[in-house]
Amino acid sequence: MEKVIRKTRSICPRCGRTVDASVVVRGGATYLDKSCPEHGPFSAIIWRNKKSIFDWYGDVEPLDAAAAPNCPSECRENGLCAAHKNATCCIVLEVTGRCNLRCRYCFAAPDGARDRPAEEIIKEIAGFTAPGKTLVQLSGGEPTLRDDLPEITAAAKKLGCKYVQLNSNGIRLAEDEAYVKELADAGLSFVFMQFDGTDDAIYEKLRGAPLFAVKEKAVENCAKYNVGVTLVPTIVRGVNDGAIGEILRWAVSKSPKVRGVHFQPAAYLGRIPNIPADGARFTLDELICAIEEQSGGLVESGSLQPSRCDHPLCGFHGDFVVLEDGGLYALTKKRDDAPCCCCGAENPADKNREFVGRRWQRPREGGADSCRSSSKDIEDMDYFLSRVATHGFTVTSMAFQDAGNVDLERLRMCSLHAAKNGRLVPFCVNYMTLW
Amino acid sequence: MEEKPKLTCSRCGVELEMHKAFFSYLEHSFSTEVLRCPVCGQVFIPESLARGKMAQVEVSIEDK
Repeated sequence: MEKVIRKTRSICPRCGRTVDASVVVRGGATYLDKSCPEHGPFSAIIWRNKKSIFDWYGDVEPLDAAAAPNCPSECRENGLCAAHKNATCCIVLEVTGRCNLRCRYCFAAPDGARDRPAEEIIKEIAGFTAPGKTLVQLSGGEPTLRDDLPEITAAAKKLGCKYVQLNSNGIRLAEDEAYVKELADAGLSFVFMQFDGTDDAIYEKLRGAPLFAVKEKAVENCAKYNVGVTLVPTIVRGVNDGAIGEILRWAVSKSPKVRGVHFQPAAYLGRIPNIPADGARFTLDELICAIEEQSGGLVESGSLQPSRCDHPLCGFHGDFVVLEDGGLYALTKKRDDAPCCCCGAENPADKNREFVGRRWQRPREGGADSCRSSSKDIEDMDYFLSRVATHGFTVTSMAFQDAGNVDLERLRMCSLHAAKNGRLVPFCVNYMTLW
Repeated sequence: MEEKPKLTCSRCGVELEMHKAFFSYLEHSFSTEVLRCPVCGQVFIPESLARGKMAQVEVSIEDK
């Protein structure tokens, strides 16, 4: 017994041609089914029905395939088309193809190529910067292998990027404090740091080296220069899917140095160990339930709401304040009276960018820390405003799509865009690899 | 130090007093001290509070 709940489009994971696809419920789970005239049928699990997928879709309209018949090949070649539904929230910019790790999973699969000159990168940043608005994520490879990264950071700020984010494994941030200071002085806003658990066995499996002490040191060094760190675990079933609660507890214990956790269930892009069977995939609804179960009540699943900036199946967000006793005060809740994203004047990408900027960037020393209230009651307005600025904490996730589970309905709502040869391309299109 | 002019309730004619008031928004409740009439309970919310702290709280708890 199966039921088709949505019609959409996808690609053949072998040849990449666009094919019709269906979202199908069967046997207690939800799948994306598709068939290529040359390579036959394919199916990938997308939801394990631990939460209602209908509720999670909300009022998002199904794909209108006729509106963008050349999706996604057109954006791969020419950048975002006029029919793309969301504006840019964050721009991922590769500044190097070199890396000091060789991870089992890596969406970028860096090729080790010689670095482009900084001038070329700065010119590219100038081309896409909207002054006072842009959030650029410097990515790689491992961006900190570039000695001139502070120079690139300073140039991006000077060009008007509101936020400059560093995507890093943390190794150099741990080993070279002077370099962290240079980045902070250059105006680095915050760091997205690879962080898969608190147990070295996890790092040995996923990254090929025991790295937990390195991560701890990197967090401390960033804190010395007031640079906020958001932890980014790649969740791989059988490796660290049981470490989700511990990651959250560790992160909260490091507030305000750590600003949140951004979970990324493993997607099969770039360098992957194998083509996944359904059993290997860790779905978004599973992650939400694991967060609630493993965190021992620290985070309730009702505090995690579908993405509004991207397609709901692409992620979730939860906004919290870390209390003095180490608990979390939830700011996001499911509300029947919540304003929908279509009736506000502000576009969802702009709104999301300001939200993450507020939470992930630490306030200047002596700024919001100087609370006028002697109260420690989170319902006291002065104390709340001070505490949310210093100890705001996010629990977010992004579920990247790969050749097996890519859904063009989701792709067309993507607000995370990679800079590629002067054009902006949806992240998952840019890094999509055929199997 | 210059003393602020005292405010009186337009309805009751008595002087307003500082009092803790609770404000609810999107299922959250926050408190702060505002001037209140001890007789009828009417509160005075200065523009600086409405456009300042109250607006900041609203932005903080509105879903992104």
